[in-house]
Amino acid sequence: MIYQPPAGARDLLPLEVAQKSWINDRLQQVFQKWGYQRIVTSTLEWLDTLTAGGAIEPSTVIQLRDNSEKTLGLRPELTASIARAAVTRMAENTYPQRLCYRANVFRHPPQNYHGRQLEFYQAGVELLFAGGVLADAEILLLLAHCLEDLGIPDWHILLGEAGLTRSLLAVFPQSIRQQVRYCIAHLDCITLENLSLEPQLKERALCLFDLRGKAEDVLEKISGLDLDPSARAIVSNLKSLIELLGRSFSKPLPLILDLSLIETFDYYTGIVFEVVNYRGDLAKGEARGGVAATALQERSRILGKGGRYDQLLGLYHPQGITSPGIGFALNIEDLHSCLLLTDRLPQQTPKSDWLVIPKTPEAESAAFVYAQKLRNSEHIVRVEIDLGGRSPTEIREYARACRIERLAWIQADGTPIIETV
Amino acid sequence: MVLIPDFYFIFALLLFNFYLLMIVIALPKGALLTDSIKLFKSIGLDFSAFLDKGNRQLQINDPTNTAKALLVRAQDVPVYVEYGQAQLGIVGYDVLREKQPQVAKLTDLKFGYCRMSVAVPETSSYRRTVELPPHGRVASKFVNCAREYFHSIDLPVEIIPLYGSVELGPITGMSEAIVDLVSTGRTLKENGLIEIEVLYESTARLIAHPLSYRLNRGNIHEWVQKLRNQTEASTAARK
Repeated sequence: MIYQPPAGARDLLPLEVAQKSWINDRLQQVFQKWGYQRIVTSTLEWLDTLTAGGAIEPSTVIQLRDNSEKTLGLRPELTASIARAAVTRMAENTYPQRLCYRANVFRHPPQNYHGRQLEFYQAGVELLFAGGVLADAEILLLLAHCLEDLGIPDWHILLGEAGLTRSLLAVFPQSIRQQVRYCIAHLDCITLENLSLEPQLKERALCLFDLRGKAEDVLEKISGLDLDPSARAIVSNLKSLIELLGRSFSKPLPLILDLSLIETFDYYTGIVFEVVNYRGDLAKGEARGGVAATALQERSRILGKGGRYDQLLGLYHPQGITSPGIGFALNIEDLHSCLLLTDRLPQQTPKSDWLVIPKTPEAESAAFVYAQKLRNSEHIVRVEIDLGGRSPTEIREYARACRIERLAWIQADGTPIIETV
Repeated sequence: MVLIPDFYFIFALLLFNFYLLMIVIALPKGALLTDSIKLFKSIGLDFSAFLDKGNRQLQINDPTNTAKALLVRAQDVPVYVEYGQAQLGIVGYDVLREKQPQVAKLTDLKFGYCRMSVAVPETSSYRRTVELPPHGRVASKFVNCAREYFHSIDLPVEIIPLYGSVELGPITGMSEAIVDLVSTGRTLKENGLIEIEVLYESTARLIAHPLSYRLNRGNIHEWVQKLRNQTEASTAARK
């Protein structure tokens, strides 16, 4: 019998762990510098808690049963848990709340994707009890700083506004609105063109379908549309946000405003965003007219996503009082794959600095004592004990293979002989 | 040809990132290939080398090195596009319906017309699908479409997945009916089968990798617009 992990689950071996910890440690440092405090919530939640916000389909949750009547689920994301904890357990705390996390999450792969990963690692933040342009700007700038600190090459932020898109969709008759929204969210232009819509509504639908690009261009296009006062207010906030972001980062933010970036459910209420990276293999094409062309054999990944959810906290509040919130989650696996092509990640697991070898059985206790003396240093010193059964030649070979530079041979009387390999 | 040192290559790449990246297009082998190649030729991308009898290459660049085409099985076109290995692809609606891939569906290209139909032996007594016996057998390459259809008419059947020559299902007596693509109906006729119901009609569709479309990688919006204009022009000409 061979015991294997279930399809989609995987083991991380030491080098990968070292690399992913490097990523996660850096992220947590950035979060802390911005005043965020780490929260740990339960891996298991009631299925109801996980799906209350409307963004999570029960079928995507890995469900478990115990003896109680309700179903348990492994968390597919952290926001629900943090929202639940914040409004019930932290109600007395000062506002706003800046919380961050590093955690594993679980998702059932969709049908037809057998063996797709089902356990993921995420790092993220939630800024709770704070709304407005400044809070939105903080989150996007924090995200940008995280990506820069990690040294992620060629990243872009796709920025949408769920509230604005929803109000742009309000002109469509109720009976067909959800279909229009579905087509736009899933980029299905063919179905959209075939919906029975009045000519000017069809024009509006097709305009919404391609309402993306440079922020200034998109904002100009929107201001040409017939907007109600609430939509005008959102547009004006969006303008202030984009101007503020433009002046507050060390370089122009690679921002694409995309008002077709919307979900089919009403979870997000304000800005929504995705971070995208293009891993381009620089496959050199033949020179063309003196300029090189390259094949776009690249793989795009969504490194993380987030948005504003001003209705969510109320769902978990005992009295149903809602408060604003915004956050994002970064996918550690995707950040890792993207950094593997750079020289940023540790390429080897840390090696041991010393190998301490008792030369005789009488020297064994002295070896432990000597090893501990070496370890008691201000900086991390990694010390291994040789567990016996090897000739000196084999020990030296082992040390070379493991890149251990110093050997301490402990004599029967407890004195060490130091050898450098 | 000018030889360019690596440094300048990278530099040029950074400068003209969006303009010089070569887009990759997935083209379906089989019935849609000739028309697909004709369409791309009409907007200046010539992949007709794929039509040469002696061709064994699976990917080729157009002569101007603007785009690369991958030659893949029709069912695999949405896979390459969904995973972003190709930014654009041409595929039949039947495949999209069967596989439900997460791709942007941009334009009905109006060629490659065919229909997904239920067919039975001419000698059988069935003339409507509801007359098929409950818990009967239906052979098909389009398992999901078949299942969805029989579910929608509330008729429980066993679907037998086959990968080709589906007509043999009823001929050999393995199944009562088949669900398959019909274009002219000749194959059915020559095998003594008749069409009794049409599930849906299908044509070729232009699909795109959603993120590449959102980010306009390799300027794909411009190519999509050209393909749309060309399709409109040739549809108008046909009328």
